[in-house]
Amino acid sequence: MTLSAILIVSAALFGIGLYGALSQKSFVMLMMGLELMLNGSLLATMGFWSLALGGAPKGQLLAIIIMAVMAIELAIGFALIVAVYRKRQADVTEALETLAR
Amino acid sequence: MTMTDVAFYLLSGFAIWTGWRVFRVDSMIRATFLLLLSFTSVGLIGLLLSASYLGAATIFMMAVEMMVMGLFMVMFMMNPAGLNPMMMVHQHRLSIVAGLLIFAAMTGAVLLTPLPSDPVAADRPVLRDLGIELLGDSMLIFETAGVTLLATMLGAVVLSSRRGRFGPTDAGSVPPGLSAGGPPAGRQPKGGGSHGGHGGHGGHGGQGGKGAHDGHGGGGSHGGHGKNGGDGNHGGHGG
Amino acid sequence: MSLIVGLPALLALLLIGLWAAAALDTAIGRLIVGRPVGMAATDPLRAVVADYLRQRTDTEAPDHLNWLLAPGYYFLLAVVGLALVPFAPDQSLIALDTSVVLWGAAEAVVVVAVFLHGWSPNAPFPLIGAYRYVAIGLPVMLLSMFVLIAASIPAQSLDLRAVVESQRGLWNVIRQPLGLPLFLAVVMSLTLRGPFDYADSADLAGGTSAEDGGPRWIAWQTARAAMLVAACAIAATAFLGGYLGPVLPGWLWLSLKTLAVMVAVVLLTHLVPRMPVARMLTLIWIVLLPIAFLDLLIAGLGAL
Repeated sequence: MTLSAILIVSAALFGIGLYGALSQKSFVMLMMGLELMLNGSLLATMGFWSLALGGAPKGQLLAIIIMAVMAIELAIGFALIVAVYRKRQADVTEALETLAR
Repeated sequence: MTMTDVAFYLLSGFAIWTGWRVFRVDSMIRATFLLLLSFTSVGLIGLLLSASYLGAATIFMMAVEMMVMGLFMVMFMMNPAGLNPMMMVHQHRLSIVAGLLIFAAMTGAVLLTPLPSDPVAADRPVLRDLGIELLGDSMLIFETAGVTLLATMLGAVVLSSRRGRFGPTDAGSVPPGLSAGGPPAGRQPKGGGSHGGHGGHGGHGGQGGKGAHDGHGGGGSHGGHGKNGGDGNHGGHGG
Repeated sequence: MSLIVGLPALLALLLIGLWAAAALDTAIGRLIVGRPVGMAATDPLRAVVADYLRQRTDTEAPDHLNWLLAPGYYFLLAVVGLALVPFAPDQSLIALDTSVVLWGAAEAVVVVAVFLHGWSPNAPFPLIGAYRYVAIGLPVMLLSMFVLIAASIPAQSLDLRAVVESQRGLWNVIRQPLGLPLFLAVVMSLTLRGPFDYADSADLAGGTSAEDGGPRWIAWQTARAAMLVAACAIAATAFLGGYLGPVLPGWLWLSLKTLAVMVAVVLLTHLVPRMPVARMLTLIWIVLLPIAFLDLLIAGLGAL
């Protein structure tokens, strides 16, 4: 279990997440992509903290902040989905092409 | 190779495989809980990395989040149980290339950079460290996260509330057109949007443009609309 | 404790616990409605055989994989919970300094397992049961979180082993009188019982297990009973001093205390009626959660 192995795994998770976030039409699936990207960064943070920083406490703090970001992304994302659905009856990103007007 | 290594490779493989399957299964509930499995594997890797609190907390938080996510999947996806094959993607090739590129770039960076090696000491009280850090030096950061979460809660309630500042937020809600600037698709709710929350699900049929979606789109606009059923306003079903 | 010795011992204890849970449930259920207790000790075993021989049913287009996995997850979480419980000073199968948090994670995944069990059959009653359970199960988990944090405050540790050691002078059930009653509610919710049974209740013709037949039914009920054993063991550890006690060996004390908690839970299961979902939600958010805060406050003041 080397640091490079952990970072490569986290890069793979990040890449899959980016693919999902870019390719999915549905809002909810798009958010799953974002979550997977954050999953990758969480793993990278834990890896760095554990194997490269000698357990500096600030590393754990960063991981906690990432978790908070996940929670915020999820809550605001769902609220936006509900709001957009109320206003536009839209649940896929294509339906918001006309958002400017 | 120690037991820890074996566990790490198995868990990482599982995390990546489940992460990939998230975007490949038809059932949205399966997709959600595959993502949860991916998170759980990462949490367990965290436990292996002696991040005992972070690992357990990841599983804890993600189980709750993915449960809520699953409910939203059922609410907002047309094919939650995966009974029909489905592929709802756009700019697919670009996304694959982008994902692969970022993976290659990051892997290259990892392999080319001389990484420091300073593993956490076995006797280091990491849990105590975390507590002291959260309520000591970094208290302001931690509190900022707390206040942000509070703002998030308020914002989420405000955003998703149906009672808007200028009346019901779904008043006059119109589904998007099939083409840019075209007439709205699906049925339109009547009477100030008192049940607008469900109206016009038929819009999917048009947007998806695939046979698999049409069935549900039609079903959505007919089911559960006893009050509106007779008004004959079924125009523009699309699909 | 090594895994090779520990795991079989744990599974053996779990097996005894399963039988005890089933027998207790049968006996107390019969006592309360005034029927003769009869062969309550062997009747559950007979029921297992009868269920196994019963006709197997299937629904239209179910999610077979998840239907199969849900009882497995549930059972696995119970085993994880039991493995976190210390059986003697410093002896638990999973040696982790955040075992309280990991147990909380297991509780959270229980909600997912029950939801999957209700979702998979692709039938109305199980699905309604699953949705109802999510609505109740998530806030109940908050209760568990606060109560367990309160229990770990005197120990100054999130490790169940330290939580037990901190109760050498005084058990948490006396030090924090609100903790155990609230945790009993959590146990009932985790095991889908009595007043907190919104998943598998009779008003939904069995809820999430309405479509289970034969081996599926046995698997789900076994997992439920296993979770009862695990959650009661956690309650005994966090509030009743776990393995602490004179004369008898520690694991026996722990078993006796677990059994006592189990009797209390089964009694409550059969004695307390179930409220409508909306009223129960109000009760949890407006009444029980503030009581949990109070419990936390008492624990904090006690620690000062």
